[in-house]
Amino acid sequence: MKIKHLILSLSVLALVAQSIASDTVTVYSSRKAHLIKPLFDTFTEDTGISVKYLTGKGNALIERLKLEGKNTHADMYMTVDAGNLWYAASQDLLLPVQTKTLKNNIPQHLRDPNGFWSGLSVRARTIVYSTERVSRKDLSTYQDLADKKWDGRLCLRTSKKIYTKSLVASLIHHHGEAKTGEIISGWVDNLAATPNAKDSHIMDAILSAQCDVGLVNTYYFARLIAKKPDAALGLFWANQNTTGVHVNISGAGVTKYASNPKAAIQLLEWLSSAKAQRIYAGLNKEYPANPNVAADESISGWGVFKQDKMNLSQVGILQVRAVKLMQEKGYR
Amino acid sequence: MDKKCLKTKIWTSILALLVAMPIFVVGFAWFLPEHELWQHFSTTLLPDLISATAILLIGVGAGTVLLGTVLAYWVVMVEFPGRKWLEWALFLPFSVPAYVLAFVYLGVFDYSGYAQIWMREFLGLPGFDIRAGSWAIILTFVFAFYPYVYMMARASFKRQKVSMIEAGKLLGARPIYLFFKISLPLSRPAVVAGLLVTLMETLADFGVVSLFNYDTFTTAIYSAWGDFRAVEVAAQLASLLVLVAFFLIYFERKARGEAKYYSTEVSNKKLYYANGLSGWLISLFVVSIFLLAFMMPMLQLLIWGWESIEQEWSVKYIDFIYSTTILTVVSAIITVVIATILALPGQCKTDSVWLTGIIRLATLGYALPGSVMAVGLLYGISQISVISVYFGGESINHIIFGSIFLLLFAYVSRFMAIGYNSIEAASKQIKPSLIQSARLLGASRLKLIWQIYIPIMAPGILAGALLVAVDVMKELPATYLLRPFGWDTLAIQVYELSAEGLFERAAVPALVMLLFAAILMGIFQYLDKKFFKTF
Repeated sequence: MKIKHLILSLSVLALVAQSIASDTVTVYSSRKAHLIKPLFDTFTEDTGISVKYLTGKGNALIERLKLEGKNTHADMYMTVDAGNLWYAASQDLLLPVQTKTLKNNIPQHLRDPNGFWSGLSVRARTIVYSTERVSRKDLSTYQDLADKKWDGRLCLRTSKKIYTKSLVASLIHHHGEAKTGEIISGWVDNLAATPNAKDSHIMDAILSAQCDVGLVNTYYFARLIAKKPDAALGLFWANQNTTGVHVNISGAGVTKYASNPKAAIQLLEWLSSAKAQRIYAGLNKEYPANPNVAADESISGWGVFKQDKMNLSQVGILQVRAVKLMQEKGYR
Repeated sequence: MDKKCLKTKIWTSILALLVAMPIFVVGFAWFLPEHELWQHFSTTLLPDLISATAILLIGVGAGTVLLGTVLAYWVVMVEFPGRKWLEWALFLPFSVPAYVLAFVYLGVFDYSGYAQIWMREFLGLPGFDIRAGSWAIILTFVFAFYPYVYMMARASFKRQKVSMIEAGKLLGARPIYLFFKISLPLSRPAVVAGLLVTLMETLADFGVVSLFNYDTFTTAIYSAWGDFRAVEVAAQLASLLVLVAFFLIYFERKARGEAKYYSTEVSNKKLYYANGLSGWLISLFVVSIFLLAFMMPMLQLLIWGWESIEQEWSVKYIDFIYSTTILTVVSAIITVVIATILALPGQCKTDSVWLTGIIRLATLGYALPGSVMAVGLLYGISQISVISVYFGGESINHIIFGSIFLLLFAYVSRFMAIGYNSIEAASKQIKPSLIQSARLLGASRLKLIWQIYIPIMAPGILAGALLVAVDVMKELPATYLLRPFGWDTLAIQVYELSAEGLFERAAVPALVMLLFAAILMGIFQYLDKKFFKTF
């Protein structure tokens, strides 16, 4: 028995020694490898702390974190969509982190009220339209797309995609469930095609005149314009006179059972800094979460827009109701 | 019961139960309290899902059987122009993952694809939404999965006694009559085995259905898990899939009854010579299938890959190829070894309802979506840890989680059906008379296994290994969830890029995958040629 204890404590010591010596942060990320690797490389250059990462789907990584419990390798959970972060926090997987740096760098509505997670980039979902068949003055809000005038002219992404769920959650927050139900029914009636699997398909459909308007995340629009600068597509900031453009985040939190929480917090703070924010948002043409950092040149031409200031933990709280509502209204 | 049977029973049981573990875990979800989600699902999703899934299964089943059987019959029984290379080429679509095929087809044939643009602009036809209805998704699945039926039917046609059909020919029977009266009934077990694999694969698919936004049963599974975080409901729904698979197999066995179909000789003699117009028509048809299912997607990938290779290609591909190689080879070997043990003929097995039952169970993992299988496995391991801790032992979680062992376990569980069906079909060719004479000559069971069973089953074992290897290469959801650090495969790279809508860049790993599969098939063909000459 004694020998067993000795071996056990020795191996624990060895593990601790190893983690101090090599000083590594391990990240579970649903943000894809090509979007995070350059960032982590720069962090290692700046601090000498190396970063290991494993990519996977947001849900599945949460399931894995749960099952690994105290044995987890992960120091940080990084994902897209506030709903995933909110759920990870609700399952007691994250450590509350409230530091001055984070508070200074990231606006309140993009952070968890209890500090379990923090947004790192802003992903705006707004209206895209055909400049040939739609006049800007006809466009106004998300709910307006449910109007009869768009009958057979609307393309939407599938309700299974988290971006759609979060948008509908924000509608429930602002308008209540009954009104949101009417909006969804209106959308479904106006659809020109089966809801698309990808945002890029929506824009292709508009370009080939299958439909005239749609909703996309702006970085997909940026990618298309980079490839086809003359495409007859326009971006319209929705709800500017009302609630503001629906935004979501990609973000991260330190795991509850992190073996190296100090370095993980350091990484999180570094990611919110001006230097990292420029790389982070620039890589995918998203908007920096840090308001002191300007958007990438290629997208700054679309102008500044009013963001929906609803705290994004609401997205997590309301997402289940959003999905139920969409399934009831037959939004595939 | 004698002692020897007991030993066989224990070992076979342990193996089969291990392989079937994720299925048990998933099934146990029914013991959890009823979830309020069922109420919501039964009024919203389920009615439509069930009919949509049924339509899909019927369509894909009919399509693959028709296409797979007809193609196999032609390449085996009829001599037509180009037959020789087409016989081999028709295998190739097997290396294209169904989700890759789907994104290429949508890119070409959807409203904004150039095929439809051309149709509208030059032919003046109206455009249409290809994802509406179910015909397009059915065709996609048929082109992706017909090789399962083709492969098995082809092997079976090759072993049919040509003399029997020739006798019919001499008596003046028309080819179509002989096909339905002799060839097809004799090949039914093989065709049905291919069909079963196809149906299970269709049931478990998530990639193609999500690209088409076509709701099937897996949609509800993912919704329960992803949207409502109700893992237990997801497991309950998934176990229904297993149940469906179980009934499919049960009815197939029942229908097959006691009939025995065996012949060991491989014949390369052609029954019909289609010269002139009929031969060219057959050629045209077969070539167009090959073009649609393989050449066209391949060309599209090449075009996309060409545009993005500079941006995408880097040394990391060495790691992807390395991981893919290790995983496919090791899991194919383990699967085939276990499948062979399970499929070895023996009196102990056929007499025991328990053994035949759990062996069947061990092959049902194929009907589980990969990620459900993976989570089932994780829960199973963590329960073992809980039990172990309860009895004063230690948790094994930290050893198993995030190790390659877990991933291999998942592959073996999921693809056991593929290996087993192929090997079991081969074991059906062992003539009882052969075993009886060996017994009479005093051969021990071990000798029987090494000198008679294994050599006769060898082509099936080899084919099974190839099928499993290619399936592992294409596997995505379980790999994505369970892989250890640094074990990114080609399939994962395809997914990560295409999930971001970067189809052009995704074409690069997809092409490397096709090359990889081509090498696997080349090795298979070489070994097959060298030892069995089924080609």
